Order: sequence, then C-alpha cells, then structure tokens
Amino acid sequence: MAREFQRGHKAKVSDLTAGTDLYVGVQIGGPGLTFDISCFGLDANEQLSDDRYFVFFNQPKSPEESIQLLGAQAGDTESFRVTLDRVPANIHKLSFTASLDGAGQMSQAGPGYIRVVAGGEEVVRYSFTGAEFSTERAVMLGDFYLKDVWRFAAVGQGFDGGLEALLKNFGGEVLDEEPAAPQQPEPQGAAPGFAPPPQVGAPAPQFGAPAQTPQPAPAFNAPPPAPAPQHYAPPPQGSTPPPAPAPAPSPQIHAAPTIAAPMHLVPGAVPPPPAPTPYGQPQQPPYGQPPQQPQFGQGPGHIPGQVPPPGAPAPYGRPAPHGQPAAYGRPQGGGLQAAIQMYKELPTGQRWISQNKQLVRVDLGAGGQPVLARQGSMVMYQGKVDFGYKGAGFAGRIVGNATGQEMQLMRCTGRGQVFLAENSAHLHPIELQGDGICVSAEHVLAFDESLQYEVRRIEGHGIPGGALFTMLFQGTGTVVVMTHGTPVVLPVTPTTFADSDAIVAWSAASQVIVSSQVRLRRNAYPGHSGESVNLQFRGAPGNFIVVQPYEV
Amino acid sequence: MNQQLTGYAPTPVAARMENHGSAMLKVAMVTGQDLFARVGSMVAYEGFIEYEPNPPAVRQMARDWITGEGAPLMKCTGDGLLYLADYGANVVIVNLDNDALSVNGTNVLAFDASLQWGVERVKGLAKFAGQGLFNVKISGTGWVALTSRGTPVVVDCGSGEDETYVDPDALVAWSPNLKVKGKRSFKASSLIGRGSGEAYQMAFSGQGIVVVQPSEDSTDRLRARG
Repeated sequence: MAREFQRGHKAKVSDLTAGTDLYVGVQIGGPGLTFDISCFGLDANEQLSDDRYFVFFNQPKSPEESIQLLGAQAGDTESFRVTLDRVPANIHKLSFTASLDGAGQMSQAGPGYIRVVAGGEEVVRYSFTGAEFSTERAVMLGDFYLKDVWRFAAVGQGFDGGLEALLKNFGGEVLDEEPAAPQQPEPQGAAPGFAPPPQVGAPAPQFGAPAQTPQPAPAFNAPPPAPAPQHYAPPPQGSTPPPAPAPAPSPQIHAAPTIAAPMHLVPGAVPPPPAPTPYGQPQQPPYGQPPQQPQFGQGPGHIPGQVPPPGAPAPYGRPAPHGQPAAYGRPQGGGLQAAIQMYKELPTGQRWISQNKQLVRVDLGAGGQPVLARQGSMVMYQGKVDFGYKGAGFAGRIVGNATGQEMQLMRCTGRGQVFLAENSAHLHPIELQGDGICVSAEHVLAFDESLQYEVRRIEGHGIPGGALFTMLFQGTGTVVVMTHGTPVVLPVTPTTFADSDAIVAWSAASQVIVSSQVRLRRNAYPGHSGESVNLQFRGAPGNFIVVQPYEV
Repeated sequence: MNQQLTGYAPTPVAARMENHGSAMLKVAMVTGQDLFARVGSMVAYEGFIEYEPNPPAVRQMARDWITGEGAPLMKCTGDGLLYLADYGANVVIVNLDNDALSVNGTNVLAFDASLQWGVERVKGLAKFAGQGLFNVKISGTGWVALTSRGTPVVVDCGSGEDETYVDPDALVAWSPNLKVKGKRSFKASSLIGRGSGEAYQMAFSGQGIVVVQPSEDSTDRLRARG
C-alpha cells in the first residue's frame, strides 16, 4: 500500500522499500499548459556543480545512467528511473522539479502527483493540486536526499521564475538554448483546429464585471483559460503532453495555429459580450468559481507565433467563415486527419499483420496461397479478391452433423489486402513453423491454406453439444485465433485444468483428459445436472494452454 | 479503497470533447453551444444540462431516418460536463475543421449543433442490407464523436489503385466525396445457400478515407433498449 505524503513529509527510502532501483513518476498538467519535468543532481551544498546531473528532455540520463528519463508512461506525464546505489558520492540530493513551458502559472495546473514505484509497487505518493500554488512558474516536487542514508521528501515548493530561476537557484548556468528549446510554438497535438477563444473574453458574459483579482482557482480542477492555446492537445489519458513536443503531426493545410482572431489585440478591453466561453472553464458559472484575471500583462510577445493568419478558421462555436477556402478537396485535412491518425492503416509488408487488437490484415499478394476464413469475417478489402465457398470437407461435415452447425469457411483468393474481424474479439495470429496447435473450432478465425488441419472431437458428458470440437493445425503458416478478452497462457503442469467453455487452444503435444466433478448443488437449476466438466491437460514441459476470460 | 479508484477521476477539461477511457466521451457543455447526442447515451452529467429529445429541428432533418419512429437524437443545452457512452463501444472524437464526414446512423454518438448536417439514405444498398442504411452527413467546423465496436481502422482510399470494398455492417464513416456504389459479389452458388457469406459490399473509390470497425454487429443498442 502506497503511503500518502503531505507537503514536508520525509522518510528514509529504506523504510519505504528495500530496493534502490526506483521508478519516479510525475503527473502534472493543466489545460493548455506544458510542463518540463527535470531532475537536478545536487552536491552537498545544494548546487548543481556538474551539469551532467541535470537530467531533462535534452539530457535524458546522467553519465553513469543512475538517473534516466523514461518519458510519459503509465499515466505519468514524465517518469525517471533512479538507481540510488549507483548515484556517485558527490551527489547528495536529487531534486525533481516541474516548470512551465510557455505562458501560464502554477495555479492553473490540475491535480498531480509525484510517486515512487519500487518493484512494480507504488510505495509513496505526494499529491498536490494547482490550488496550492499561485503565480509560480516552477515547482520543486520532491527530493531524494542523502543524510546518512537516502531519504525522500515531499517538497511542493514553488518558484516564481520558471526553469531558469530554478537553475540559478541551483547555481547552474542558464544556457541559451535551454529555455529556447521548449519554446518552439508547435501546433502540437491532435486538434489543431480547436482554438480556444482569447482569454480576454474569458470571464463568462454572465459576470457583469469580471473580478480583477488574480486569485488562483481555489479548488476546482478546471483552471482558467489557458494563455497558450497552441498547447491545446487532447491530453492522453489524463496526462499532459510530455514536455518535449510530442511527434507533431505533419503540417497540414489548416495546421496554422487557429487562434481566435481578436486575441490580445486590445489588452484590457471589455470582454466581447456573447463570445464563446472557453472550454477550459465551462463550469464556471454554476460552480461559482471566481473569474480569473485575464493575463493582460502578457502581450502578444509572450506567445510566439500566435499572430493569427488572416482567414484563419474562427474558433469553435462560431459559424465557419465562408471566406475560408473549402477543404472539400482534401477532406482528411486539419482536425479530421489528426483525429484519425492513430487509427491509420499500417504499412504493408508482411503477409499477416495485426492492425490492432481486433483486426488482422492478410496480404494475399505476399505468399500467394489462398486463405481460409470464417464466413462473414471480412470487414473490408482492397484489390481484387474473390470470396468463394469452402466446404469444411469430410471432417467438417462430421462437425456439422454432430453439432448442427458446420464450420463455415470461405476461401479468399486473388491479390489484395483483406481485413478480418469478428465481433470485436481479440485476434492473435499464431505463426506455426512445423509445430502443431489445437484450437477450439469456434475460436478459429482464419488460417493459411498451406496448413494441414483436421477436426478432432473430444467427447464428454456435460459438454454443451455433447462434444468439444477442435481443429488441429500442423505445418507452416499462420492461424488466427480469436478470444473474448485478454487470454491467459498457462504452462501444462501435472495439475492443469480448464473449463471446456473457456478453453481456446493448446499445444498439440499435450494430452487432454475429460474430468468430471460431481457436486451436489442444491441450487442446480432445472436441467442442470450439477456436474461441471473440466479438461485436464497433460504433457511434457513446454506445452501450454490458452484460456479466455469468457465462458461461451 | 480510494487508491484504486482515484485513477478514474475525470481529468481537467482541455477541449470541448475528450475521451475518458476508450469508451466514454466527456463533453464540456457551455450555454450557447448546444450538442446533439443519441437518445439514451447519457451516462452521467454534472452541472445544469437540459435534454430535449426529438426537437423540431431534428425531426425535420431526420424525417427519413426511420419512418414513424422519430429521430434518435436529443438536444443538450446548458453548462457543465456531460458523459456519454454507447454500451462500451469505443469512442472516436473528430474535430472537423471545415471538413465533412458521412457517418453511419448507428455510429453517431454526438456532434455540435452548430455543424451542418443532414440524414441521407445510401441508395441502392438499403434493400440488400435488410435494415436501411442511413447515414448522417456532417460538415463544417466543430466536434463529432463516433462509436466503433472495437478499435477502428482508417483506410486511405487514395493509396490503392483499386476500389476499397467494405462490409456495410462494419462501416463506420467515410469521406462524403468518395464515390460509393454497392457491389454484389454473390454468384449463383450463394443463392442456394452456399455463399461465402459476403454477399454485398460497398465499394469506395476516389480521394478520401473510410473508417471501419472490427465487428459486424451493427445493431443499434441504444434503440434496441426500447
């Protein structure tokens, strides 16, 4: 169980965890805000005497790699790996800081945390919210420091000046490119078309006279209008974009920062009356949040590259200006393109490719031989592909006769790419190279015709339909197995059992025994014998079974 | 207990529409910026939001949708946060920037009321599909949320020299400037019940994209609930 630290709490690392190989995750974010999260390795005088121990996005690890920057993962905006016993002796303190890149102030940040994970388990977490800060531009979140032994402290101290001030505080030299590097105005993120209205108009029109107090938002998560609209990127699952500009989408026709036109033109002007309220604070009126002081002090110079191009699309909520050249010729430009980027078709090359968990694509051109697939599993194809009926053969007819439902296959021939899917089940292409696998017949989606297959029947009283039909595949080729949910692959041990309803596949060398367990269940429902059938598997080590979390 | 659940708290609002997980849509509602959403898709909301099912404007636009049943859209107005979902289907958010998108009727979850939209029937296909294939053409600048049963795939039709054929049950959306035609791929054999199971497809050609879901379940769960 992780310990929750409050500001100022300290503890020995040895009390938290026995390990010294630690993962430090920082989550911090806010609408329109981008943070640079860095780690300073300080000497006994709390000075950054060695630049190489300033670990940040431009220098992702210290020389002996005791401190490594890992990037955004697992819900953390930024993460580090710290190996405390490899930290050199002259480093006495590792200070983790977050500083704002671009305009904004710490009070606009949403809730965040710094956490330490050891051995896959979170051992300590210090949570904070932007409401604890005001106009600071950087914050020291937590420290590992050496006082006899390594200790961890939750700091939570703000700095007014941002990264440069932090560096100066630590005695570091401010290099020119350091502040400059993160300042590149990127129309980054996936929604270049989304343009929040100017913060001049931020106080919602409902407020007659916007309060002019630069009070931070006291408790509410949704902070005030972001002054740096170019950073409006849909944050991936609750984290802000990583400090280093994420792989920015290639420039598109509408990728120019589409900033609301009247922005900054007349600082201090009356808020434009019925102007669209920014999305960043839609709840403002009902929640009684004190309106934010628009940051009039920030001239346009604070937001480089924000001069709206003439004819830029109006902010969302206004009718599209018709002076804008219609984009119909390229419908995938702009926001649409960005939104679907992550679902793009993968490049061709291999014969079988998992497009995503639920879709496989087979390239019939590569390899040449046809593919047999379950009928109706084609969702899309490109090229010249022919779909023909394929009987399941003599063995298949046995299946059909016994179960009343034949395994219906179709034969895909020709040249082109076929996308196969079935009911958004998870698909697993399994490549066989001379080995064999038994797959429960209802979990076969498709396979290469080059594979030899035969139908086997496992009889057992209590199995629905009287018997379990499996298909044994052997040879060289790929078989696509579908599972409902994420399956588990178990090694075959002397005591491996599986429910006949949940079994998906097993390696062909393992032997199946039907074992029945009779239980006297009072609540056995009518027609149910109270007997459950399990399959027991036996085999040499190295065999495995695949079970899905769903009992069809 | 809170430890495990805190990870699911809503994130600060950063845009009009955002994903909360893969299957939930979070919309930041503001007075004056109304939203059309599927009836029955609301799972939660905070703030002051009003719902008007089947408003007159929609009735006009969607009179063809399914005759006699009214349009399955409601108009949402007010301030606050609105959460929408459709039986665990993946939600894909598209920010149209003077673009257009034609979306299968059952795959529309929500869209901004300021967008231009209309309901149209895909000609020639309805009778084969059994259920009529209706789609909503949305254009302009604003936000649209689609549902997809499973992670969708987006195919650029312009990349291949051939047409792209899609199973109508798996089709989610496409660029309206694509040329659409129905293709019956059945042969004599399929008429006697021994077909490949793929009796008809929609063929797309031209410059644009097609969005396809990995499931052929195109039933409308929000309507089926009754």
